[in-house]
Parts: sequence; C-alpha cells; structure tokens
Amino acid sequence: MDVKSEKRNEVVLQGNEACAKGALYAGCRFFAGYPITPSTEIIEMLAGEMQRAGGAFIQMEDEIGSACAIIGARWGGSKAMTATSGPGYTLMQEAIGFAAVTETPIVIVNVQRGGPSTGQPTRSSQQDIYQARYGSHGDYEIIVLSPSSVQEMYDFTIRAFELAEQFRTPVILLSDEVVGHMREKIFIREGSEVIKSEKHRYVVSPQEDFFKGANTTVEGQLHDERGRRIGHIATKSGDFIYNINKKIRDNIDSIASIDTYCMEDADVAIVAYGSVARPALNAVKHARGIRDDRILPKTRIIRDLFKRGFSKTLKTDYSHLKVGLVKINTVWPFPEELLRQATGNVDTVIVPEMNIGKYSREIERVLKDKLVVPMAKCGGEIHTPTEILDKILEVSGLDEEAVK
Amino acid sequence: MRLNVRFAGSGGQGVILASVLLSKAYGLGENYNIAQTQSYGPEARGGACKAEVVISDEEIDYMKVEKADVFVALNQVGYDKYIDTVKDDAIILINSTLVESDRPGVYRIQATQRAEDMGKPFVVNIIALGALTRLMPKIHSPAVEEEIKKNFNASIAGPNLEAYRMGYEILDEEMKKKGYKTGFGKRSRF
Repeated sequence: MDVKSEKRNEVVLQGNEACAKGALYAGCRFFAGYPITPSTEIIEMLAGEMQRAGGAFIQMEDEIGSACAIIGARWGGSKAMTATSGPGYTLMQEAIGFAAVTETPIVIVNVQRGGPSTGQPTRSSQQDIYQARYGSHGDYEIIVLSPSSVQEMYDFTIRAFELAEQFRTPVILLSDEVVGHMREKIFIREGSEVIKSEKHRYVVSPQEDFFKGANTTVEGQLHDERGRRIGHIATKSGDFIYNINKKIRDNIDSIASIDTYCMEDADVAIVAYGSVARPALNAVKHARGIRDDRILPKTRIIRDLFKRGFSKTLKTDYSHLKVGLVKINTVWPFPEELLRQATGNVDTVIVPEMNIGKYSREIERVLKDKLVVPMAKCGGEIHTPTEILDKILEVSGLDEEAVK
Repeated sequence: MRLNVRFAGSGGQGVILASVLLSKAYGLGENYNIAQTQSYGPEARGGACKAEVVISDEEIDYMKVEKADVFVALNQVGYDKYIDTVKDDAIILINSTLVESDRPGVYRIQATQRAEDMGKPFVVNIIALGALTRLMPKIHSPAVEEEIKKNFNASIAGPNLEAYRMGYEILDEEMKKKGYKTGFGKRSRF
C-alpha cells in the first residue's frame, strides 16, 4: 500500500467521504469514533475501508474514549484520526490538551453543527471557531484547517496529517455541515503517501513510538525529553510551555495559507473561511459587474496615483465596485502577516460567518487601521450571495436602488 | 451556463437519492461540474426535506440554489414552501398524486400512484427522476441509467431501471406532442 502514486481518479464524493479517503491516502491506519450527525459518513466509510487497507477501526463507547484511543494508537506507531461534531468535540477537549502536552500527532475532524449543546444536529454553523483554538485548558498552540469544498476536504485531511507529524501536535480539521454533506466532483489519488515524522528542535517530549526499543514515558504533566516530570521546576516548566507554543508560532510561515481573489485592486475585502467563502466569491463576482458611478472612485484615482504608481492606476478600471475575497485556509494559527499583506490597500473588511460574529474580533485585532464589519448569521443557513452583496453595497454607500 | 435544480419532498421519499443520481449523471456521465447539497431535519422519515443540485460548465462558487431553474416537488408542503423561489421560465415538475397546482406550464407525473401500481412504493423518486431527465437540457438518458446501475445492488437495480424508464417515457410522449426538446420549451436559455 505504501507507494506514492500520482494517478488521479475523478469521482463524485461527499465531503465526509472525501475526508475518509484523504485519511487513508495519508496513511491513517487507526480510526476510533462515535457516530454523530453531521460527521457520521466519515465513520461509516472508514468502518468498511479501514480494514481493507490493513488498519483498525473501533466504534467507541463515546467521544472521550475515541480521542484517547487515537492518542494511544499513535504512540503505538499508527497514524490515527477521529471525527465528530460539536457535542462530541466538547467531550474531546481533555484528550486534546493531553495530546498537546504529550506532543502527539493526531488528527481530529470536527464537522460543525449548530450549538450550544445538542443544538441543531442537521444544520450548519461555524460556532466552534474559538473552541477549536482555545477548547482545552492551559497554554498551547494548535493548528486548525478550514476546508470550503469537497476537494479541500480531501486535500486538507492529507495536509492535516503532514502538519501533525511535522510539528508533533494535534491538528483539527474544522469543517461544517455544508461542506461535510455536499457532493462534488473531485480528484483523488491512488495508493498511499508516506508521511515521515520530522525531528523538530522545539519538541521536548519523547518522539520514539512504543515497541521501537527506546524507553518512552508519555506524561501529562510537564516533562523533559525522556518524559520525566518537571512540573515542580519553574524555569524548566516555563521553557516547556514556551517550546510547545514556539514550535508552531515560529513556523507560521510554513503553516499559514490563504487564497485571494481579485484583491489586487480591491477597496473592500471580504474575509471568509470554510463554506461561507463560496457564496462570498459569488458575491464578489456579482459586485465586480456592478457599475459604480459615485464620486468616490474618482478620488481613488488620485489616491492610487500616489500609492500604487502611474502604470498600475492607468490599468485599473474605476467604473466598477472594487471588491475582493480573502479565503483563510488555516484559521489557527491566525495568518496575521498574510492577511495584512493581502488587505494592504483596502479600507473596509466584511467578515461573514455562521456564528454570532467571533472570528471578526481576531481580524479587528490585526487590521486596526481598517473598518471591520462583522456579518453574523445564526440559525443554520449559510449566507446567500444576495445577502453578502447587499452588505457590500451598504458599506460602499450604495443601496440596490442607486445601482440600478 | 449554470443550472439550479431544487428537489423538495418529505423525508423517506428519496429526495436526496434522486438528486445524488442526477448530480452523478451530470458530473461523471456528461462531464459537468456539480455541487449537490441537502437540508433535512433530525427525523428519519417525515419532516421537510430539500435537495439542491447546481450544474455548471465553470467552477461552482455558491453551492446552493437561490432561484431555481428546475423545481421538482414530491409533496404539497415542499411545493408550497419553495414555489415562490423559482425563476419565471423554470421547469416545474410535480408528483401529481400528492401535489396540487394551478400554475400554468407545470409538468405532472403521477409518481406515487404509478409506484404503488408497480407494487414497489419506494420507487417514487426514481419515476420522478425519469420524468425529470426527459425535461432536463444537456443530459442523455443513458448517463442516468448508468448511475442507477452503479448505485444499486443488482437485485434492486432492475425495478429501479423499470421505474426510471416508465417516468422517462411518460414525459417523452408529452414532449413529443408539444414538439419541445427540453422542458424549457421553445425559448430555452440552455
């Protein structure tokens, strides 16, 4: 199985099924989970395919057991994953903290549904955006990826395993019901990739799997390279905390990833992640087609002559609404620098998200000089392009009547 | 080209399965880009169920449907809920056993009745899918038949194919009489 293959097959898959396929391609050979809508299809598919791939699948008694089982499996030498949704993800927090402190490379998929508590089993949300980052107690950094299409669900699952092994950290794939249940035509690869665990200079925990000859202690208290407790020594403990945070923070350049559309000449930016980036892109395309006859665009020509130079200004079409999209792929660690670069010339940022307006705070923190307009939507429906377009017109000082 | 298709019905009628087969036929058989989404309640049966398919020859950005080009209603509740969010020239197909409509230009198929006559009440969705395929532009019937064969066990593919062809032929007759190539009639945008 462990042969890297570049043969690509075209298939129609659901987001959750694509995630399962991605995990198998990435070499995941242990899955423990407890079924929960809307992530059940991942478990359903792996229940059949994991054994065929020579791995192990367990349906656990609950999500606490699931998260703990994959930590154990990883220390036993198998790449491991679990999948859940909001209520189950809440139960996993203790184990996520344990994985962070023992520096165990595991992948946890959270297909978000409406919360709090049992909430809305069959509806979508992005309410767990902060729980994904700050869910467990104590100071730790974590990597969270947010896919917005079925292809990304496949690709990001593979990426999650790569990042987990590279930085010896739990990685969260933060999907949502819309992406998880959506079917699209995607390309998947045959065979399996060999992802090697890299020795990282900031990693302080033992890195040798069990049964490989080394004496390994997996310790939940702060510990040294051999797993011996150091919780009573303040200086060493401080270094440990700095190290498990630094290993991710200092490498943000190789982790962070965003995509931009039409940002080169934009005055207004939409910053979105996950499924909401899709209607946002549609709204951007529509906005670009709307003629803008106000006086503001003309003053922009003068501004741009100074700011961006003569040739660029000459090539810019000032008759249309200048809107762009920044799609954030790695929601945590927050891609501060990339976002600052991408939104350099923008004055207004709209942040549509399927929650009460959480992530916009983080964007406000980073883009202090810009007007950040949160666009919250709760209830389980994804934003429509029309709603986002209306917001664009509103912040541009245009309403729909004026455009006609 | 972007074709927005919406299915509405009750949980258990096979609304989602019909949309999946249609999207696979367009995606794999006819090589279009597709995005299929759905929305339903926590109940296994009963409760409102909606499925949407977007078919495009470009990359699909927004994956859901705002205004439908094609609307299929398998029950009255679904029909009433979504009939106001279709385009003026949309293809509307109703399961006329369960849905009443006085809207002109609506296509009808007695899907529930015909399925019960067959002695296989579970093929309602496939009969409607057959009828729908005849109305849709840019698709050939074998593409859908292929997906039915691939997605069902051999034992159950037979009745489903039979149901599919029945639906297709009923609408085929109607369309031949009208002289239409697709359900959009003579002034097709597609």
